[in-house]
Amino acid sequence: MVNGMAYVLIATGLTLVFGVLRIVNFAHGEFYMLGAYITYFIGTMLGLDYIAAAAISAVVVAGLGIAANRLIFWPLRRDHEFTILLSSLGLALLIANGGELLFGADPKYVESPFADEILDIGTVTLTQQRVLVFAAAVVALIAVYLFIRYSRFGKMMRATAQNPDGAALTGINIKLVHAYTFALACGLAALSGALVGPTVMIFPTIGNWAVLKGFIVVIMGGLGSVTGALFAGLLLGVIESLGGGYISLGFMEAIGYAMIIAVLLWRPNGLFSTARGLR
Amino acid sequence: MNTNSHVQSLGQPLAVAGGIAALAVLPFLAGNAYLEHLLVLWMLYALLALSLNIVIGYLGELTFGHAAFVGVGAYTSAILSTQLGLPPLLGLPLAGLVAAAFGLVIGYAALRVVGPQFAILTLGFGAILFTITNHWVDLTRGPMGITDIPPMAIGPLAFDSARPTYYLVLALVLATAWLCHALVTSRTGRAFLAVRENAPLAASLGINVFHTKLLGFVAATAIAGIGGAIYAHYIRVITPDIMGVHNVAALIIVVIIGGRGTILGPILGALVYIGLLESLRVAGPLRMVIFAALLTGTVVFLPGGLVSLWQRWRNSHRSETAQPATPAGLPPTGFPSAEGGAK
Repeated sequence: MVNGMAYVLIATGLTLVFGVLRIVNFAHGEFYMLGAYITYFIGTMLGLDYIAAAAISAVVVAGLGIAANRLIFWPLRRDHEFTILLSSLGLALLIANGGELLFGADPKYVESPFADEILDIGTVTLTQQRVLVFAAAVVALIAVYLFIRYSRFGKMMRATAQNPDGAALTGINIKLVHAYTFALACGLAALSGALVGPTVMIFPTIGNWAVLKGFIVVIMGGLGSVTGALFAGLLLGVIESLGGGYISLGFMEAIGYAMIIAVLLWRPNGLFSTARGLR
Repeated sequence: MNTNSHVQSLGQPLAVAGGIAALAVLPFLAGNAYLEHLLVLWMLYALLALSLNIVIGYLGELTFGHAAFVGVGAYTSAILSTQLGLPPLLGLPLAGLVAAAFGLVIGYAALRVVGPQFAILTLGFGAILFTITNHWVDLTRGPMGITDIPPMAIGPLAFDSARPTYYLVLALVLATAWLCHALVTSRTGRAFLAVRENAPLAASLGINVFHTKLLGFVAATAIAGIGGAIYAHYIRVITPDIMGVHNVAALIIVVIIGGRGTILGPILGALVYIGLLESLRVAGPLRMVIFAALLTGTVVFLPGGLVSLWQRWRNSHRSETAQPATPAGLPPTGFPSAEGGAK
């Protein structure tokens, strides 16, 4: 369930970028990785406490997201989806290997004051960190939901999602929407990285893993659907831990892939899709 | 539809014959075993890139599962020769067949969706095959990999060193290149291009889009399987890494940098890739950063890949000397631009 919530955070960013901007961003997992690493470095080098480090890292990565959008995705927005897919793959390789260069390939631990504290809830025993992952994710998701639903900017995002040209005609600054959507998505990815970081080891290639999980969730939930991502993410988390417990840890990974394949064959637009025209 | 014709324009038979002759004498110019080894790697990558190009270049779909088929081929032949004692010569076509069978099943499932979803789906299939290879220790020895794979041999002729292997792979590359050329100029090939440019229109003309795509996908996986088998018998050790993300990325980089949808492109791209890979060996992790930058740069600034440079140069040259030629902005590879693809 806690893993599932982390998947949801990753997938929400992916699905926002796809739903609003029609961009499949392979580099999304790399922003997750950066989130974890920046938290680590702020924590160990500047000696800031964990919560502040996580917040700063989310802001920094959101800024990087804006930069990536400005340099790559915005100029290519009218190109074929193939081009965008490839350039995001290039960006992913660039960040992942650049990360290996900068941070070294050896795994690191993000320090968190909550990582060793145990909490008992009824019969379940959890570390406080895991509770924090869950709680922070819930808060972040509610905030994002309210933001999209009720703020002026959220309306602009939804208008752009429906029809970019029409939105531009009515005076919406699409460029701004692009930038903010990326900032939001990357910030969420970084937050997820910062939260999950203390529960696992981090290394520069975790982005691969994260983006795969993100894609599984996004596809299961239906590309572009935030509520779909929420349910699919939780579902994946639960199924994976059940599968890992009852079948085999080794094949736990394969379960997720098998699930998207089953879902895509059964309902190509995802479980919760409203069958929006996907060509 | 700007059906490209690098082959025809290049393809004054003389130029092709000259190119083949140059490739044939290369090992003698190389002089040492290391360079010969690099030549073999170049040809192997060219072969795999040509097969991937069928999917990326001709069908216009991005697959992330290609390295998995290379792995399936490599493992098939390796297991057959080490555990059943089958001669590798027999393993080669069998590897192609098994990879094609996997390609048929996976393509049958995956080709129902297009675009990003297809890419993600093939990524998933690739990851499943990788997981199975890594964990089915009884058959594949898991992460330890298979060692002591016997070298390939045809009668008394053993492909146990670089030079004979080079000629074997060169022959396969040429055969594949010829096949691709024949395919593009044939009726089936035109169907491929029609499907790539505009699937609904192609369907309205009576082309079975699904079958056409499946045919291309299976052909590509069969070639990938054979390439993998040769790799296994040449290097003589394989591990599940052969199916890993790095190899997928490498193959895609080769096709894109060289020029998708062309025959020369993948061969050229493989040369660039192997050349840089070896010359940058000292640079460590920086290597992949450079490759990634090259990939991104190519996609953004030179969508047609390296081969389009030549085309560009020729176009500008022609416009200077003769008629005010074709507008410079035309995508030289005939890959669908946003307008062409979306409508």
